[in-house]
Amino acid sequence: MQASTMKMPVAVVRLPRGPDGTSRGFDPSSPRFQALGPSSLFSKVTANAAELEREQQGRVALRERYLRSLLAMVGRPVSFTMYEKVSVTALFGASDIDVLNFQVSELQTPLGVQKEAVLRCSDIVAYSFEL
Amino acid sequence: MTAWQKKTPLEWLTYVNKEVGVLAAEKHKYQGWVLTVDPVSANILLAHPLENGKMSISAVLGHAVQDVEILTEADDEMKEKLAHLFMPEEMRRCSQEELERKKTSLKDWLETNHIPVKEKGESQTTLCVAGVLTIDPPYRPEDCSSSNEIILSRVQGLIQGYLALQQCQI
Repeated sequence: MQASTMKMPVAVVRLPRGPDGTSRGFDPSSPRFQALGPSSLFSKVTANAAELEREQQGRVALRERYLRSLLAMVGRPVSFTMYEKVSVTALFGASDIDVLNFQVSELQTPLGVQKEAVLRCSDIVAYSFEL
Repeated sequence: MTAWQKKTPLEWLTYVNKEVGVLAAEKHKYQGWVLTVDPVSANILLAHPLENGKMSISAVLGHAVQDVEILTEADDEMKEKLAHLFMPEEMRRCSQEELERKKTSLKDWLETNHIPVKEKGESQTTLCVAGVLTIDPPYRPEDCSSSNEIILSRVQGLIQGYLALQQCQI
């Protein structure tokens, strides 16, 4: 039996809560939003429908450009300026929808090259790449 | 949350196409033309033309932004350049008739696959699938937008198959 060969019990690591099945993380009442999301989707103009429409259109235009920039960044070397004067470069892979984490490859750290890594956006001050 | 993160999309829009100086955490300073401000993370995306004709793109993360100062406004040439930086190039090359032909052909093909599709938009150029997904010109898999990623990947897969089929016929 497999169970008899396991001498040490393995501690259960509690992972951060992922998005629940139905929400995309933007619903202010979703557990993910409350746990992680800065409420940048805060709207001041909910009372006026026309004004809200205008705001939503603005939001769409801004978001689309940002998402396209992330697409353009895929596979390119990107240099990240982190807090505490840390500067690293890596090949950009992907971002999650609420821009909380970046997945990168070939991360050049002062200690060596990390093949695959996830960078927390809360640790990053800025990033740049050439187009 | 900082004052910058609390701004509304309409306030962020006033910074787009302006040359700004950004003061970020730990006294980092950035300068460039504002391409966009991500409404989710408040990240500012800046473009900075380089001498070799390339563009340097930098982004300052929303949580690290301390102050944004508007320096100058872009002229029309610069605005055009900024607007097309991340846009697919094919979009500008296709002629009206060609786009119309592509649209009708894709629409017919989707309909033969029992996918409900309608035309919408100001000049009926956008295809709308089941009311939850739009396909903009020039109607490639990457021109699909939907908030439902499952439908998005299905339809993108279908369009991929349709394009592959067309390649075979040529």
